[in-house]
Amino acid sequence: MNTPNKKELIIGIAMLAASLAYLVMAQQLPGHAGIDAATVPKLLAGFLSLLGLMQVISAFARPKAAAEAASPVPTEAEEPATEIVEPKTVIKTLGLILGYMALLGPVGFPIMTVIYLYLQFLVLTPVNQKARHLTYLLIAVICSALIFLLFREAFDLLLPAGLLNDYI
Amino acid sequence: MLELLQQGFGAVFSLNILMLMAVGVAVGIVFGAVPGLSATMAVALCLPLTFTMGPQAGLSLLVALFIGATSGGLISAILLKIPGTPSSIATVFDGGPLMEQGQGVKALGVGIVFSFLGTIFSIVALMFIAPQLAKVALSFGPHEYFAIAVFSLTLIATLSAGSMVKGLFAGTLGIAVSTVGIAPVEAVRRFTFGFSELNGGFSMLTVMIGMFAVAEIIKLAESGRHAVQGKARSVSMKNIRGFGFSLKEFREQLPNAGRSGLIGLGIGILPGIGAGTSNLVSYIIAKKRAKDGHTYGKGNIGGVVASETANNAGVGGAMMPLMTLGIPGDTVTAIMLGGFLIHGIQPGPLLFISQGPLVYTIFAALIVATCMMLFMEFYGLRLFIKLLDVPKHILLPIILVLCVVGAFGLSSRLFDVWSILLFGLLGYAFVKAGMPAAPFIIGFILGPMAETNLRRGLMLSDNSFAAFFTNPIAGTFLGLALAFVLWQVFSALRPKPSAINQILRT
Repeated sequence: MNTPNKKELIIGIAMLAASLAYLVMAQQLPGHAGIDAATVPKLLAGFLSLLGLMQVISAFARPKAAAEAASPVPTEAEEPATEIVEPKTVIKTLGLILGYMALLGPVGFPIMTVIYLYLQFLVLTPVNQKARHLTYLLIAVICSALIFLLFREAFDLLLPAGLLNDYI
Repeated sequence: MLELLQQGFGAVFSLNILMLMAVGVAVGIVFGAVPGLSATMAVALCLPLTFTMGPQAGLSLLVALFIGATSGGLISAILLKIPGTPSSIATVFDGGPLMEQGQGVKALGVGIVFSFLGTIFSIVALMFIAPQLAKVALSFGPHEYFAIAVFSLTLIATLSAGSMVKGLFAGTLGIAVSTVGIAPVEAVRRFTFGFSELNGGFSMLTVMIGMFAVAEIIKLAESGRHAVQGKARSVSMKNIRGFGFSLKEFREQLPNAGRSGLIGLGIGILPGIGAGTSNLVSYIIAKKRAKDGHTYGKGNIGGVVASETANNAGVGGAMMPLMTLGIPGDTVTAIMLGGFLIHGIQPGPLLFISQGPLVYTIFAALIVATCMMLFMEFYGLRLFIKLLDVPKHILLPIILVLCVVGAFGLSSRLFDVWSILLFGLLGYAFVKAGMPAAPFIIGFILGPMAETNLRRGLMLSDNSFAAFFTNPIAGTFLGLALAFVLWQVFSALRPKPSAINQILRT
């Protein structure tokens, strides 16, 4: 047996874990004898587990090089080979999105959108460019106001105003 | 039919709707042209705008976005040599070299005109075939619907990029996620974890916005700070008459266009594969059949014609199963299905009987949007080129804000906003695992349909599964699905360099 392809193995284990979690939950559904609301979830869970298992096995069966040649993903092929991946930026971005969503209700859409956009522009600014604080802030304010007012006036959608509730 | 079509045009030709459609086509072209933004995103993000519109205005806008975004991909394919969408990969092969030879305008003109012809051809085909198909579909019962849902899902899962196991897993996971909420038939609450918001299940729009838009932003964060953004070169429109190519060149390309149109239409009708595949297939065939096949890939307008005709002919093809069976063929038509449902229209065979005028309004809107696309895309080209230069780190955060607005607008609750983050993370995990997102979406949409019809079918046949195989139509589709999986397994065991893979590698 070849050494397992580590990446594919992790994917397989994740697939199995998700399937088993779903299986456990499906087992706990209230039901009665015969075909009931739990039948389809149970069938799905079984099929998912089977596929997860196949993925784990295939990770062992195929050495790394062969696995990559056998499953060319076109989107990856187009990207340059020397791509730098920055987990730090991803975590920062996720943090920003999380904060934005969490404070959307209490603080309100107009203020949070300005803060989020400004910070997100900064986080995503390419390494070879300087951050242009004033421009970013201006874009953030204009976008926030434009979206808020456009939806309020033209599309009858009241976005949460939060702290600004008494003023608008 | 002519009378209904006349009514349809009457509905579309109001100042209000025409203006909406013009905006829709323009926005669609931008979404198609900018790499990283897609037709799916365009429709998903604009769907909330249509909530307060009537069905005619709302659907016209969605159709306009769809048409614009489908053809917009050719702009970046030719100018940046990056396909804006997977459906214009083959356009790069000849469009790129033509641009380098200083014939960019000609390539763009050819691409746009044949996009137009391909779309019109497929819409006419849709108008003639769809009502007939709907008549056949009227006789379908739960057994047939279940089988067709399974067949469509199998097709999309096995044909998506990457390994079949992952594709099938993604599709099945989509169905699993769709089981959240109140179950059909018995009304048992499933997997709601006590959230009353989940009683209706996850909303389709939050799933799509999360998987496609939010995941895209997280993906950009990964490498965006180091990516080099291609600078779009502008083209001179001076001394350009018509669309930049001669009548002789046009006539020479007609056989090629006709063939590519048929390929695009045929592949578009099949669920699961669409413009992303048909542009490559028709490119390969055009190259083989052309007398000057050796010049393909070095700047032959035939390559642009084949690719662009085929991918746009998929528009009408993909609308066929959607309108007659309620089965979306790809992610864009999946989101269109969402749009139909929000406006109280249930696509399916009855649509043609109960909502005849509206169906023909959609046809009319398709035709009008296509004509708008032809002129706006060519003569507004310089504006679109400017928009290609908007930096990604400015554009995508704004898109995220629009995602949040869209999710919130669904039913004015923050719960849906959290859902898009959840599915954004899932979508990002899918990207990392090399798992295709399209089967997940189609599974999510077809899941309830498959389950409901399975349960109904089982009730009709006293809990016997055999009825699904003895029913001739259902049996055929299930057999085809099985044969397809077996064929895929077989060809995976005996790896042969397929023509498409070869092209992709070069």
